[in-house]
Amino acid sequence: MSTQVPHAEQGIFQKYFWSTDHKIIAMQYLFTGMAMGLIGGYLAYVFRMQLAFPGHSVPGFGIVTPGEYNTVVTMHGSIMIFWVAMPVLIAAFGNFLIPLMIGCDDMAFPRINRLSYQIFLLSAVVLVASFLVKGGAFGGAWTSYPPLSASGAYNLTPLGASLWLVAVALEFVAFLLGGVNFIVTAMNSRAPGMTMYDIPMVVWMIVLASIMFMASVGPLIAGAVMLLFDQTLKTGFYDPARGGDPLLWQHLFWFFGHPEVYVVLLPAIGIVAELLTVFARKKLFGYKTILYTTWATVIISFLVWAHHQFVAGIDPRMANIFSVTTLLVSVPITEMVFLYIATLYGGSIRFHTPMLWAVAFVAEFMIGGVTGIFLGASGTDIYLHDTYFVIAHFHYTFVPIAIFSVFGGLTYWYPKMFGRMLNDTLGKVHFWGTAIPFNLIFIPLFITGAAGDQRRTYNYALFAEQSRPVLQHLRMFATFGLLVMLLFQLVFLFNFFWSLRHGRRAEANPWMANTLEWTVPSPPPHGNFAKLPTVYRGPYEYGVPGRIDDYWPQDVPN
Amino acid sequence: MLANLTVVPKVAPRRFALWTLLISFGGLGLSGCRLGPTDAATRGKELFETCVPCHQPDGSGSPVLGAPNIAGMKEWYVEKQLEKFRDGIRGTHFSDVEGMRMRPMALSLPTDEDVKAVAHYVESLPPVRHASSLPGDPRAGAALYATCSACHGPNGAGNQDLGAPRIGGIDDWYLATQLRKFKRGVRGADSRDFDARLMRPMALTLADDDAVRNVVAYIGTLRP
Amino acid sequence: MLERYLTGASTYAHSIDHLFLLIAALVGFWLIVAEIALFWLSFKFRRKQGRPTQYVTGEEKHLARWVTIPHLLVIVCDIVILVPALIVWFNIKQTNPPIEQTVRVFGQQWAWSFQQPGPDGILDTADDIRTVGELHVTVNTTYRFELRSRDVVHSFAVPSFRLKQDALPGRTISGWFRPNRVGTYDIQCTQICGIGHALMAGRVIVETPQEHAAWLIRASNPALAERESPPASATGASIVAEVRR
Repeated sequence: MSTQVPHAEQGIFQKYFWSTDHKIIAMQYLFTGMAMGLIGGYLAYVFRMQLAFPGHSVPGFGIVTPGEYNTVVTMHGSIMIFWVAMPVLIAAFGNFLIPLMIGCDDMAFPRINRLSYQIFLLSAVVLVASFLVKGGAFGGAWTSYPPLSASGAYNLTPLGASLWLVAVALEFVAFLLGGVNFIVTAMNSRAPGMTMYDIPMVVWMIVLASIMFMASVGPLIAGAVMLLFDQTLKTGFYDPARGGDPLLWQHLFWFFGHPEVYVVLLPAIGIVAELLTVFARKKLFGYKTILYTTWATVIISFLVWAHHQFVAGIDPRMANIFSVTTLLVSVPITEMVFLYIATLYGGSIRFHTPMLWAVAFVAEFMIGGVTGIFLGASGTDIYLHDTYFVIAHFHYTFVPIAIFSVFGGLTYWYPKMFGRMLNDTLGKVHFWGTAIPFNLIFIPLFITGAAGDQRRTYNYALFAEQSRPVLQHLRMFATFGLLVMLLFQLVFLFNFFWSLRHGRRAEANPWMANTLEWTVPSPPPHGNFAKLPTVYRGPYEYGVPGRIDDYWPQDVPN
Repeated sequence: MLANLTVVPKVAPRRFALWTLLISFGGLGLSGCRLGPTDAATRGKELFETCVPCHQPDGSGSPVLGAPNIAGMKEWYVEKQLEKFRDGIRGTHFSDVEGMRMRPMALSLPTDEDVKAVAHYVESLPPVRHASSLPGDPRAGAALYATCSACHGPNGAGNQDLGAPRIGGIDDWYLATQLRKFKRGVRGADSRDFDARLMRPMALTLADDDAVRNVVAYIGTLRP
Repeated sequence: MLERYLTGASTYAHSIDHLFLLIAALVGFWLIVAEIALFWLSFKFRRKQGRPTQYVTGEEKHLARWVTIPHLLVIVCDIVILVPALIVWFNIKQTNPPIEQTVRVFGQQWAWSFQQPGPDGILDTADDIRTVGELHVTVNTTYRFELRSRDVVHSFAVPSFRLKQDALPGRTISGWFRPNRVGTYDIQCTQICGIGHALMAGRVIVETPQEHAAWLIRASNPALAERESPPASATGASIVAEVRR
C-alpha cells in the first residue's frame, strides 16, 4: 500500500465537491446532515407549537392545517432518522474515523465512496424538493403504511408520496455503497499488528451497523419498489381488493425498521466507548464482552420486528414469540450499559464537554431502554401502542443516539477534523442547555401518553378525555422545553463556526488518547500517515502500571 | 495538561452566552403571543389550505375524490353547509362516504368566525365551468326541471330566501350524486336538516337514474 | 397507576393497569440503581491530583461478578415481567369469553360507523341500527366486535377500555370487551389514516340496561326520533362545543 498519494494542487471544486478523500467526504456528510438537522428541528418547532397552541398561527409557518401537520410530522421523522442520524453517525464518523483509526491512507474504494455521497445528496435534494410539488410532501407517517401510502386518493399527496419513496430508496443505495466500503476497509486495510481485538470499539460498531443495514434493507427495497408500482402503475401488491396484503408492507418495513434502530445505536455507543475511556483514563471494562454482546444484539434484533405490530391484526399468538425476543434483546443491551458504568470505576474522570455528553448518553439512554419494556410486554402495549408514551420512549433512545453521542463525538474529534479546539465553556453551556430541556420535553410526554394521547394528532379538541386542561398544560410545557433546547443550539453553531477561525490551534494529540488518529497532525494531511503505523497493543491501555504516562498509544513500540 | 484546554479567549464567548440566554428567554415570551391579529380575508385564505388537498387550490374540485367544484359558491350556502357538517347534520349517515370525509374537515375550523372567513374566501374564487361528463338528454330534462325552477330559479341561479343554492354551473357528476343521495335518504335524513327535507321529496319525483341524468344534463345548459 | 391518568371502564382495564404498575416498579428500581451507580462513580472517581487511575481490564473473575450478578437479576426480572404480560395478552386477545352481544365496527376516512342488531337481537336483519361516530352499549355485557375497514388501515382505540385493535381492509378482525362503568368515553383512531386522522373521533356510550332499551326504541323508530331530539344531535353539538371552547 502506498504511503503518500502524489498530491497535485486541486481546484476548489475538485477538492471540496469531487474529492475521493475520506475526510472531505466525511465533512460533506456531516454538513449535509447538519443542514437536514436544521430542517428537522424547524419541523419539530412547527408541530410542537401547533400542539401547544392549536388553531393559532405558528410564527414562521402560519396556520397548520390537518394535512400540513401530517406532512410535518412525517418529514420530521424521516429526516431525523434517514437524513440526520444515518449520515452523521455512520457516514460522517465512519468515513472520518475508520481509515484514521485503523492506520491506512483512505477507504478501500474511494470512488465508490464519492458516489455514495453523491447519491445521498441526490436523495436529500429529492426529499426537500418534495415539499414544493403539488399537494406538498408526503403525509402518511414515516412508516408509510399502505393502502394509505399506495393511493393518492387516500393520502392526498400523490407526488409527495412517490418522491418520498424514491428519496428513501436512493438513500438506502448510498448507505449500501458506504457500508460495503466500511466493512471492506476495516477488514482488509488495518495497520500491521492490529488484530481483531485491537480495533477501536467505534470502528467495530460502525462495521457491525453496516452489516446489519445490509442484511435488513434488502426486503424493504423490494417492498419499496412494489409500493412505488402500486402508486404509479396501479398494481395491487398491497391492495386487498386485488389479492394483495397491506400487512406485507408492515412486515417488510419493520424487518428493516427495527434493526435500523440498532444501526444508528451501535455507532453511537461506539463513540461513547471512546469518550468514556479517554476521559476516565480507563481501559474499557470487558472489551471482548462488549463485542460479543453487540453481536448478540445484532442477531436478536432481527427477530423482534413484529413487536411494532402486536395490535396490527397479526395472529395474536405471534405476539407471544415477539414479546419474548423483545425482552431478550434487553439482556445484551443491559449488559453493555453495565459495562460502560463499570468502566468509570477506578478512573480519573475529566469532565470536559465530550465526557459530559458521554455520561449523559448513558444516563438518558437507560431511561429510553427501560421504558421500552412497557412496550415490549404485549399486555401493556395494547394500551400504550401509538400513544405519546411510544414517542417519549423512542426519543429517549434516539436523542441520546443522534444528538448526545453526535455532539460528544464532534466536540471530541473537532480538533482532529479542523485543527482547532472548540471553546469548552460554550460547549458546557450548550450541553446543559440541551440536556436539561430535553428532559423537560419528553417527561411530560410520558404522562400524556399514559393518559392516552394518540400520536399524529394535530388537535385534541374532539377528544374529551384528551382535551383536559392538565394535559394541554403538559403539552405546552413540552413545547417550552423544545424552544429552549432549539435556542441553545445557536450556542453550538456559534461555537462551531467561531472556533473554525478563532479556536486555539490543536496539537496532534490534545486529549492524550491512544488511538491512531491522534498520531497524525490536526487536521490530517492528504494520505493521513507520513509513514504507515504499526500497532503494538489494544486501543484502551490507560493507566498501565509501571509507566510514567497514563496513556500508551497503539503505535508506540514496547 | 488537559485542564489547560479551556483557557484561551474567555470574554467574547461568555458575553455571547449571556446574550443567548437573554434573547432565548425573550424569544420564549414572544413565542406564546400571537403575532398581531390577522384580518378575516387573510385568515380565510390561510384556512382554505385545509380544503386544498381535495377541492384544489382554485376550488374547482376533484371528481376522483368526490370533491365538488366550489369555486365562487355563495358565501351563505358554504357557511350553512359547513355548519351542518360541524353540527353532525350532514356527514353522519352510514352510507355517506364522501360526507364522512368532509365532516372532520369542517370540524377542523376552530371558530364560527373562521367558518365565515373560509366561506367568504370560497365565494371570492372565480367560478370554473367544467364540460359535462355524464350522458343525458337535456331536452327530456327540461320538462323535469320545471319542478326545480320553483326554488332554484329558471336559470339555476338559486334563491337564498328559500335556501336554494345556485346549481347552474355545478359539475353534473356532483349534482347526480347528490340527487341520488337525496333519493336514498343518505342526504336529508337528519330531522334538523330542513332544507334537505324540503329537497328530498323533490328528488323522489325523478323516477329513475335516466331522469336524474337528463335533468342534470339540462342544468348543464343553464347560464345563471 | 394508569387509573390516575385515565379512568378504566372495562373489565380488563385493571389487569393492564396492574401490569403497568408491576413493570414500573421493577424497571424503576433497576433504573434508579443504575443511575445512582453511574452518578456515584462519576463523582467518586472524578479527577484528583495524585490519584492515579486503576488498571482494570474487566476480564478478571472477581470484577466481572459485579456485572454478571446484576445481569442475572435482570434476566429474572425479565421473566417476572414476561409471564404476567403474556397472561394479560392471552386473556384479552387470545380468549373468547361467552359473548352476549355483537357489534360490527367499520373504519373509513374519517369516521367510525357501527352496525348493531335492532330489537330482534340478530345482526344482518332489516331492523339493524346503523350509527356514525356513536356506539351505544350496555354496561356489564360482554360484546364481541367485528372490525372492518372500508379503505385504509385504521386503529380502533377506546383508551378508557384499554382497547386497541387495527382495522385492516380486506379482513374482519374480532375481539371483545366488557364495559363495567356507565359513562361516555372517547373512541380514537390511533393509526394514521390521512388528513382527517386527528378528527376521526367517536364516542362509546355505556348505558344501564333501561337507558339502552330506551335508546334502542328511539333509534329503531325514526318516526319517534323525529318528534324528539334525536341522539345524534347530542354528539354533534357536544363536539362542536368542545371545538369552540
